[in-house]
Amino acid sequence: MTLLDQDHQPSRRQFLTLVGAGVGAAAARLGAGPAFAQGGAPVKIGVLAIRAGIAAPVGAAGLRATEWWAERVNKAGGILGRPVQLVVEEESNPKDTVERYRKLVLQDQVEVVLGGISTGVTLALGPVAEDLGTPWLSWDGTTQKGVEETMPNPKWAFKSVDNEVEAIVAGILTPKYFKGIKTVAGIGNDYSYGHDCWESYQAVLKRYLPDVKFVLELFPKLGVTDFTSHIAAIQQSKADLLMCSFWSGDATIIMKQAAAVGLFKTMKGVFTTAGGVHDSLKKEFTPEGLLLGYNTMYFDDPKGSALLKQFVREYKAKHNEYPPYECDHAYFNAESYKAAVEKAAGAAKRWPEKAQVVKALEGIEIESLSGRRSWREDHVQMCSFYQGMTTHKNSYDFVTISPVEVVSTRQAMKPAGAKLFDWISGWKI
Amino acid sequence: MKRGLGLAAATAAMAVAPLVGGTYHVLLMLPFMAYAVVLLGLNLLFGYTGLVSFGHALFVGIGAYTGAFITSRTTIRSLEVILLSAAVLGALVAAPVAALCVRYVKIYFGMLTLAFGMVFYTFVLKFYRLTGGDEGTPFLRPSLLGHAFDAMPKIDYLTGPYYYYSMAVLGLATLVMWRIVCSPFGLCLKTIRDNPAKAETLGIGVTRYRFLAFVISAVYAAVGGALLGPPTGNVDPTLAYWTHSGSLVFMTLLGGFASFFGPVVGAFVFIYLQNWVMSVVPYWRLVFGAILALIVIIAPEGLAGLVTRRRPAPAERA
Repeated sequence: MTLLDQDHQPSRRQFLTLVGAGVGAAAARLGAGPAFAQGGAPVKIGVLAIRAGIAAPVGAAGLRATEWWAERVNKAGGILGRPVQLVVEEESNPKDTVERYRKLVLQDQVEVVLGGISTGVTLALGPVAEDLGTPWLSWDGTTQKGVEETMPNPKWAFKSVDNEVEAIVAGILTPKYFKGIKTVAGIGNDYSYGHDCWESYQAVLKRYLPDVKFVLELFPKLGVTDFTSHIAAIQQSKADLLMCSFWSGDATIIMKQAAAVGLFKTMKGVFTTAGGVHDSLKKEFTPEGLLLGYNTMYFDDPKGSALLKQFVREYKAKHNEYPPYECDHAYFNAESYKAAVEKAAGAAKRWPEKAQVVKALEGIEIESLSGRRSWREDHVQMCSFYQGMTTHKNSYDFVTISPVEVVSTRQAMKPAGAKLFDWISGWKI
Repeated sequence: MKRGLGLAAATAAMAVAPLVGGTYHVLLMLPFMAYAVVLLGLNLLFGYTGLVSFGHALFVGIGAYTGAFITSRTTIRSLEVILLSAAVLGALVAAPVAALCVRYVKIYFGMLTLAFGMVFYTFVLKFYRLTGGDEGTPFLRPSLLGHAFDAMPKIDYLTGPYYYYSMAVLGLATLVMWRIVCSPFGLCLKTIRDNPAKAETLGIGVTRYRFLAFVISAVYAAVGGALLGPPTGNVDPTLAYWTHSGSLVFMTLLGGFASFFGPVVGAFVFIYLQNWVMSVVPYWRLVFGAILALIVIIAPEGLAGLVTRRRPAPAERA
């Protein structure tokens, strides 16, 4: 039997026959059939969102964007006439999240699962999604071990952009905005993301500036709130530039503590991912002239679509803050699922099988909050990354960026099947 | 008699659960059985010896990582080999840890076990090349009694052969632990728990007995940890984190450390309660905190204590 069968009964029954028990009871559950159009019955969509700990604001942003999307879709008549019903579960540690995932699919019978941020969790979710035969669209979690893909040919799992892309984009932009850099110090969180970003950044920068020296690397634990000693070490290194891949509240904290000692008066700065907490980077302690990354969505993009502007306006009105990039990942996942269902349904508007939805998702391109985004054939997100130089010339009390650099994953993400560092080595510069 | 009937009913219910229960709820029984093994061991230390460990996730982690390492780095898939290796490694690591910890009691013992647990957590987090760091290590599908079950979909494997295998391991672990606590060795542990000074004067080597209880409990934790791996398919450092040790103590308190089966009941209730509460309220940790406070205040002997308290004593019945 294939994974398309919804309840996997034949194999289970074979086993139970072997142990001499309960064939009849098991057979009673053979009735589950394919999910065809069910009139106006709600289409259940599972959502996994982090709700506690350091990444809770990221999870909240993704969930808010999904809810915003669901409201819009339902107001417009749902998906093929079926209203959307979100079933939300918490993303926590891998063991518990795998259980939540199974609950969504087996108990709540959702049509698709959206979400997943931590790579530690999504590495476990990928194989489970393949086992359960229900599409899983990850917001921000890959199935990469370090920078190596562990699931190159998934059937049901759709993964985030490779973790290291924003560091690669920053590596490309660094020589453009900071001339004469000779020495670089790095600081990132002490887990795979921090280490992978630093290694990727170094590899890219070396291609542009072969003589550059990396004089210091620091990896404080994720969640640390005192960087006094780290900043002292950075000052001591006398590096020309600091590269920092912090993405949560620690980005704000280090910025404040760096400002207190005037670190960026003598040193350039690259913050690859601090756009995740962009509206906490107040002008009073965040200088102009830093390279700041917003991942895949810049809320104040002057070339942003009407959809982005509406989203930002309504998000601000409802939550009293400006949306971070996780909203775009979440919106893209949900909207691409809707588009795939409609595409797979065809002219007959018949609710498609899950496998047909998966087929339709491959290569699909839709309008997301940040612009056009798509799924690559190997189930990896394609999009653009926004980075630029911090400026105080705006109406907010926090920094924004100008000019805004937009770099596509076609340029900054390794192609399917490629080895990251071999690929970078092969660039023609 | 009543206990025997209850046990038979519970065993029968567990045996038929895969046949009549929903797949998801059957899957939830897997961590329950793994935790039940862990807690049977933990309670030898907690309920029977009077030592509260806040670091037993260390041994759960050792068991889980042993299985992950064997399946992902070697060609061995046998769960029997994995469980045996986990038990041996658990005992080997427990021996020096126990030798240091059992010299102390109460909060000092608890803090020392917590410290060793965090040392191991830091080790698995930092030694990325060996352990996979925060991304963990895959725990590939193990074979059971020589059968690989490779062609079977994972869910069928878990709710079929793996379920009954876990049940058998739990049954065996229960029988062995029952023999231990009913043996003169178990009696000595209870004496040490109730009055270590008197135990010493009776000629019981308090430190030696505590050491042995610690090592046995670590072996149980490692075996349970190895059983936790296959359902998730990936083993990560959170299994060894101190909050996981806290959850083990919580389950024991919930079920009741004064009863042999109390921690097993605690594991069952914890898992199904968590499953339900997590889906209903985002602030499920708050709910669990309140439950823990209520248990400590109004039912210090846990759920098992509530049941036995209602039953009239033989003298009252007479």
